[in-house]
Amino acid sequence: MNILTCEGVSKVYGSGDNRVTALAGIDLEIERGEFVAVTGASGSGKSTLLHILGSVDKPTGGRATVEGTDLAGLNQTQAAIFRRRKVGLVYQFYNLIPTLTVRKNILMPLTLDKKKPDEAYFEEVVKTLGISERLEALPNQLSGGQQQRVAIARSLIYRPALLLADEPTGNLDQKNSGEIMDMLKLSNRNMKQTIVLITHDEKIALEADRIITIEDGRIVGDERRR
Amino acid sequence: MWREYSSGYLKNNRSAAVSVMTAAFISSLLLSLLSCQFYNMWKYEVERLRAEGDQYALMAMYLVRDANDEAPRLVFPLFLLIMGLASFSLIVIIHNAFAVSMQARIHQFGILSSIGATPRQIRTCLLQEAAYLCAAPILLGTLLGIAGSMGLLALLEMLAQEMEGRRASVFGYHPLILLFTLLITAITIGISAWIPARKLSVMTPLEAIRNTRELEPRRKCNSPLLSLIFGVEGELAGNALRVQRKALRTASVSLLLSMTAFALMQCFFTLSEISTRETYFEKYQDAWDIMVTVKDTGIGSFGEAEKLRQIPGVDDVIVYQKAQAKSLLSEENLSGEMRANGGFFHDSGKYVERDGEFFRVSAPIVVMDDASFLAYCEAIGALQRTDGAVIRNLICDVTNPDFRHPQYMPYIKEAGTTRLVARTGGVAAEMSVSDCAETAEIPVIAYTEEVPVLREEYATIDKYELVHFVPASLWKEIERRTGGAKEDTFIRILCREGVSLEELDTIQGEIEKSLAGAYTTESENRIREYETNDEKIQGMLLVLGTFCVLLALIGLGNVFSNALGFVRQRKREFARYLSVGMTPGELRKMFCIEAFALVARPMLWASGVAVLAVGAMLKASYMNPAEFLAEAPFVPIGAFVLSVGGTVALAYYLSWRRMRGMDLAEVLRDDTMM
Repeated sequence: MNILTCEGVSKVYGSGDNRVTALAGIDLEIERGEFVAVTGASGSGKSTLLHILGSVDKPTGGRATVEGTDLAGLNQTQAAIFRRRKVGLVYQFYNLIPTLTVRKNILMPLTLDKKKPDEAYFEEVVKTLGISERLEALPNQLSGGQQQRVAIARSLIYRPALLLADEPTGNLDQKNSGEIMDMLKLSNRNMKQTIVLITHDEKIALEADRIITIEDGRIVGDERRR
Repeated sequence: MWREYSSGYLKNNRSAAVSVMTAAFISSLLLSLLSCQFYNMWKYEVERLRAEGDQYALMAMYLVRDANDEAPRLVFPLFLLIMGLASFSLIVIIHNAFAVSMQARIHQFGILSSIGATPRQIRTCLLQEAAYLCAAPILLGTLLGIAGSMGLLALLEMLAQEMEGRRASVFGYHPLILLFTLLITAITIGISAWIPARKLSVMTPLEAIRNTRELEPRRKCNSPLLSLIFGVEGELAGNALRVQRKALRTASVSLLLSMTAFALMQCFFTLSEISTRETYFEKYQDAWDIMVTVKDTGIGSFGEAEKLRQIPGVDDVIVYQKAQAKSLLSEENLSGEMRANGGFFHDSGKYVERDGEFFRVSAPIVVMDDASFLAYCEAIGALQRTDGAVIRNLICDVTNPDFRHPQYMPYIKEAGTTRLVARTGGVAAEMSVSDCAETAEIPVIAYTEEVPVLREEYATIDKYELVHFVPASLWKEIERRTGGAKEDTFIRILCREGVSLEELDTIQGEIEKSLAGAYTTESENRIREYETNDEKIQGMLLVLGTFCVLLALIGLGNVFSNALGFVRQRKREFARYLSVGMTPGELRKMFCIEAFALVARPMLWASGVAVLAVGAMLKASYMNPAEFLAEAPFVPIGAFVLSVGGTVALAYYLSWRRMRGMDLAEVLRDDTMM
């Protein structure tokens, strides 16, 4: 069953001589529970695709849906609520809120929705990610790897339909990169979490079930590995 | 290259430029105002000393000191100290405006530094930019400072013109003062710009490019109150304020000080106004309309009372002179109530002197013209005669400190009516404490609680005073023995009820005209005095209020420069919130809470201080709190707070307008690129 579909999704910046095509007609279907890596060179359009799927940006053409929600039709408030409930975003530089503790950072999507956390699930997530001892610390008191684990925990806390990770290991050393990939794989297998991972690192991409390659805003490869 | 870079930046970042220009303008305005004010103070002193012919004191003004003179001459050191303090405070305050403007470009300087710009080049670029931006505001601020000083001097002159013995001061200026002002302003602003420029120039390119130094908290932030009231947006707003604490320090301090000073000033003047009205204007409203002081003239030498009574519009005239003597009292003379209350036991010897079995107490004597004295005797139901005194037989309970609601009791024992008439109540009045030989024994016509209708207060400080009212003809007989007469004679004039200011002015003019030539007089009228008092209070409120506004402006300038200057960092902060699902509405709410907290915090502190201070003042003045509350200055304080709040809201609104247009994907992309 498809959780995500893209039909001729395009994104164009500027006009006239300054016109830049970031995405040029992307057709894509991702099934629930898949672990997909999107690879490509710098400027190929992979981050733009991730931003559109995370409703951070809007396509200039085509249609993108996540669990049946047409992302182009969302206004700013609806898009924010969509990000809060349906997708978990993980960035290279973590984007944690520096003034909040690890616990509050993780619970932020639920807090914004005025929902009480499922304590058992919270415990499971932080234990799995190995950050249960650092819940009262501030982000800047953690190592890069720990911060990325917090970011993953935050993205999982709402049990989103889709976890979108943009170069999550780009700022980490080899050991931490390996650990983060293990965490993502674990959440994919144990929690049946659908993951779309953006990376330019082929080794990292090989960890995924499916590898989609983008070049100049077009999909040039779609390899199912498992 | 640098010139192009700077002009490009300034064109595209007008708000940062405006905040720097405002800071320079305020600094030069204040420094120019101070220099000009001090120059005029000094000029006034020099002119005064020249007029008085005090050559040595005049030389001392120029710092030429006599080695034997140990007296401090503080004018110049004080001036230098205040200028130094003012410059230092301004550096502390305005360097922030430069810091915010420069901070906003750390990222750009990081890039420039990474491609080879030296720290010195960056520093020079920033300082040249500061000089370019500040030149015009400094000139404008200096000129307006001179104008402000002229205005302030004119205002002070207006308020002080009725002060006795004061010379009129004429505004003056000297080119050297202009040079001095410009120099000190340039140094102040130069240091303010140099501090952040230096900090920026020594950052490593990586630090500068990442530009994350300022916004990360060192300790855990907690905003329980805001969190409780406003939820997660309140918590985030509180945390954001805490992180910006250093940048907003100037705003916090100056808003707190200005609000506290304004609230205290308003409360103090309201209290003082109520007090003056109750203890003076209302109390003496029917006691006088015009008062004339006849200089260096005893009552015996003044013979114009009848002439004054004939002036149209004049209803009643009392001519009186004051004198001071001592009265001898024995324990037996005291009333039963007075003795039951401890007699003179409560006095430490400050006002009452013991002399064997006698006590010596102050005996103020009010000598009235015979006609007025007889009218007074008639009014209190005493025999109308001019060979004795009427004694105010009242003393307040000295054990009750509430001066606003005193409790009175009879002071001395009254003899029976027959005994008074029979001149049995002897009073000893004397010239000095040590000389009891020269006493004047005068008969008492009556003991009374009612005093003549005069603008006089009795027994306010020395509660043991025994006030005597005597006719002028009797005074003539005893004056030689009692002595203690004051130099001037007073004339109290009452006109018809509801008399207007114009009528009073006319009558006052007539009186002055009729006394001119023969006497040296000074006169005042009740309504004019009330209005003058009102004008003085308004003038003082204006001057002090202006300082409060100026103080608030410094803080508001800081809020503006901070809210508009930290756009880059805050964009990233907001992108984080948006990326985890915060809606634009929630973000707006957070912004509003931040602006609210920025104003509410100093407001609450100022309210607390004002309540405590007013409580203490009410207690000290024994005023009923309800009386104060009925006239409490809620409106001006509210208007001040609302103006400050409105300006902070405007700063945040403008900042929000910039933020809301941000492209979330763009900001996130910028982050991921780093």
